[in-house]
Amino acid sequence: MHLVLAAKYMGAAIATLGLGGAAMGIALVFVALINGTSRNPSLRATLFPQAILGFALAEACGLFCLMISFLLLYAV
Amino acid sequence: MFLSPLDQFEIKPIFSYSDTFMLSNYSIYLFIIFTIMWSFKYLLNNGSLAPNRFSLVIFSIYDTVLNMVKSQMGNQGGIYFPLMFTLFNFIIMANLVSMMPYSFAYSAQLVAIIFLSMMLWLGVTITGLAKHGWGFFALFVPTGTPLPLVPVLVMIELLSYSSRAMSLGLRLSANVLSGHLLMFMLGSLMLNLMSLSLVGFMGGFMPMAGVVMITMLEFAMSMIQGYVFCMLLCGYMKDALYLH
Repeated sequence: MHLVLAAKYMGAAIATLGLGGAAMGIALVFVALINGTSRNPSLRATLFPQAILGFALAEACGLFCLMISFLLLYAV
Repeated sequence: MFLSPLDQFEIKPIFSYSDTFMLSNYSIYLFIIFTIMWSFKYLLNNGSLAPNRFSLVIFSIYDTVLNMVKSQMGNQGGIYFPLMFTLFNFIIMANLVSMMPYSFAYSAQLVAIIFLSMMLWLGVTITGLAKHGWGFFALFVPTGTPLPLVPVLVMIELLSYSSRAMSLGLRLSANVLSGHLLMFMLGSLMLNLMSLSLVGFMGGFMPMAGVVMITMLEFAMSMIQGYVFCMLLCGYMKDALYLH
């Protein structure tokens, strides 16, 4: 029984590793936004909503990992 | 004292009358959200000379959603504007009402939100089929595909098209769910740490900064998620209406 409990906690810990990918994705989105804005500052109003959209999509993918980890901890 | 963090999402009966009529916290929050949306009608002072501050908020929401619909679907997509405006307001109100302390997170109910997104996806698919007939299935073959690749690509496109039904609602719901869990866990950590000792009281200020940051992020997220939901639905609607 303790072994199952340990496996549950280890699984929850491993599931959070996917958040690293989401962090890199969010960073890439904002790097691209800064690049685009510094090359052509007049495009900022066009680029910003798309960057926010990309940020939300990348963040949601990371949150799936976080949700799996919470489910393992509290719902399994 | 330490409750399970998932207890806050439990649907509990608040008021019940002889097994036939039951008012849960779920239905009460649904009623609150609809009341706020209905009150838009009265917040707009139609007869006055200048708009008041509530009207300005509603006008700016209107402008945001109209820009989104026009940029995705062109001028002909204007008939879908009322649907998008209602959805946007519904999701934003559900998210913002759930940010009040001790309230119930309506949009963290995975069943309700995923069912909503599946029905929207079904409606989009039926719209496309009614508009184009069998020609709707041209959506699954990208333009300029060599013939041997067509069966494989159709399978991949079919998979990605049908997974939209789940992913649209799961994105919103998982965001709200994990945000509220995170706030609850940091808050209970702060409470336990600060009630422990004087050193713990000092150390408890660190998670407090985290809670403040996470709360600000959640307020931003609750608005961004409503925007993203409507924007993606506009994109799916554009696919069904114009095919590629």
